[in-house]
Amino acid sequence: MESPALSIPEAPSLVPPALRGILPLVIAIPTLALFHWSLTGSDFATYLLSVVGVNIILAVSLNIVNGMTGQFSIGHAGFMAVGAYIAGYTSLQLKEVALSFLPVAASDQVLFLLALLAGGAAAAACGFLVGLPSLRLRGDYLAIVTLGFGEIIRVFVQNTDAFGRALGLSGIPQYSSPGMVFFWVFLVVLAARRLAGSSHGRSLWAIREDEVAAEAMGVDTTGYKVRAFVFSSFFAGIAGGLFAHFVPIINPGSFTFVRSMEIVVMVVLGGLGSTTGAFVAAIFLTLLPEGMRSLFGALGTEGSLAQRVDQIRMPIYGLLLVVLMLSRPQGLFGTKEIWDVLPRWLPRKRRGLA
Amino acid sequence: MSANAQPVAPVAPATKSAALLRTDGVSIQFGGLKALTDFRLSIQQGDLQGLIGPNGAGKSTAFNVLTGVYQPSQGEVFVSGTKVNGRKPHQINLLGVARTFQNIRLFRALTALDNVKVACRAQTALHQSRMGVGAKLANAAHNYADWWKALLLTPSFQREERRLTAQAEHLLEVMGLSHRRDEEARNLPYGEQRRLEIARALGSQPRVLLLDEPAAGMNTREKADLMVLIRKLRDDFKLGVLVIEHDMKLVMGICEQITVLDHGETIARGAPAEVRSDRKVIEAYLGDSYLESHGGAA
Repeated sequence: MESPALSIPEAPSLVPPALRGILPLVIAIPTLALFHWSLTGSDFATYLLSVVGVNIILAVSLNIVNGMTGQFSIGHAGFMAVGAYIAGYTSLQLKEVALSFLPVAASDQVLFLLALLAGGAAAAACGFLVGLPSLRLRGDYLAIVTLGFGEIIRVFVQNTDAFGRALGLSGIPQYSSPGMVFFWVFLVVLAARRLAGSSHGRSLWAIREDEVAAEAMGVDTTGYKVRAFVFSSFFAGIAGGLFAHFVPIINPGSFTFVRSMEIVVMVVLGGLGSTTGAFVAAIFLTLLPEGMRSLFGALGTEGSLAQRVDQIRMPIYGLLLVVLMLSRPQGLFGTKEIWDVLPRWLPRKRRGLA
Repeated sequence: MSANAQPVAPVAPATKSAALLRTDGVSIQFGGLKALTDFRLSIQQGDLQGLIGPNGAGKSTAFNVLTGVYQPSQGEVFVSGTKVNGRKPHQINLLGVARTFQNIRLFRALTALDNVKVACRAQTALHQSRMGVGAKLANAAHNYADWWKALLLTPSFQREERRLTAQAEHLLEVMGLSHRRDEEARNLPYGEQRRLEIARALGSQPRVLLLDEPAAGMNTREKADLMVLIRKLRDDFKLGVLVIEHDMKLVMGICEQITVLDHGETIARGAPAEVRSDRKVIEAYLGDSYLESHGGAA
């Protein structure tokens, strides 16, 4: 029997309903704090973890539109760019500001959070403006519009003095830490899982399955698609904001079409509709180039291949996708979550809500 | 096809105001093709009407006009007295018109229960047609706030989920599908998929139910059960029902009034017995040659 991956479990829980919403936070925050302090050693590990986290946020949020709602957005890097530049710009402007009633470090984090939310809000607003006209229509229009949007943003930034043109923005205070990044990873996964299991998520699944039927059953398909898109754009903006605060410089080259496609590949590889699939695929695809670098470095004495990993990365993604389409067209997990496909002898998570 | 000489029985004018669903001279044209001409229909609560006609007669087009999928080129459609021309299908559904599809359109990867819950849930949405900018903003704010409730698992959200589940479970039980509750819709046998579509339509709490060939692909036994079921649904849910069906036995067996379409035109309307002996109907179904060789209407 197929497992009902999309239904909410009705089984009674030991946790009182009022606490159920907060409990994951109570568990997660100390864990993240521990994680954060354990990582102060290596700069490269810190950087890599942050990149992994940012990619997870991007993939999981894109999965809400491309996976759950069945639309096809290929401009996620554009929304990330909006978030990165707005958040980075905000932080640059507030660089000299300190909240006097807080210790410096805490003040910085509060300002960082403000900048992130500004970036997220700006990206969400862009998502709304892009989504409203293009999501009224069915089919490939969204893909075309989002593709255009990504390029417009990149070209716009490239020609705007305030955003440093092609040179990019530098000197953004490096407020970010893996702890902060993974706090947002946690939030986006929680939000995506809760959404998937809620009545709103069901409406999104319904749109994915059959838009005509969903509309006929009273689902305001345009409204739902736009809300999903805004939601997804917000988290892309947050991811961009985080990114801007741990890389030394952000420039238009970081938000190209290739970047968008990378995120799409993560979602497709993980399985369209699977949050944990996007999560796992994002980790895998981010670490893959690093793995290749080490591997080639160990194999060839010259290390020429190792230096060219960034160039051979894309053909390898392509190859990976072809193999995937042939052997497992639904992606790693399909629409299921990791706990639905784990071997039986492993303790399983209860299906449904995160 | 003969000229439209005999006038078709008009829709009773006295009951117009009480009609749950009424069309007024609806025509629809696709380019040069007239898919539907001067289509009139009136459905009251408790009605069980049939819509028949040869293939391509415009039956499904009529359904699509009634549910807002197509906009009429001429004429008007009223739901409970409200003119719905120009409204979207989901808005018309919220006004109380639900349908099933000729070629089953379930949410295939969703469980039977979730299929019904989607329809149940949609009914809690605010009616959004013809609103001012202020009301639209308020509505948008309400919709976004609703998402936050889901993300925070507020008690009101959980109460709502439990209510939806109970409602959907009840409908599955009515349609005899309780044992399929957690199975994906695509794994259900054909007859059960048809019944699940009806359960889903009922989930949207309609006042008028439009069934597009509900018996297609069913065996004789299932068809007989379906006839009983449709009558029961009409009585229990206080519905007006309109059925498109090719199976004459079923249509003649349950419908009290039948409208016959051919090439988009209404060629007959009346009780089953009248329609069955109507010359034009026989002509449309069996052709001129049949009438010639058999010497007139049966």
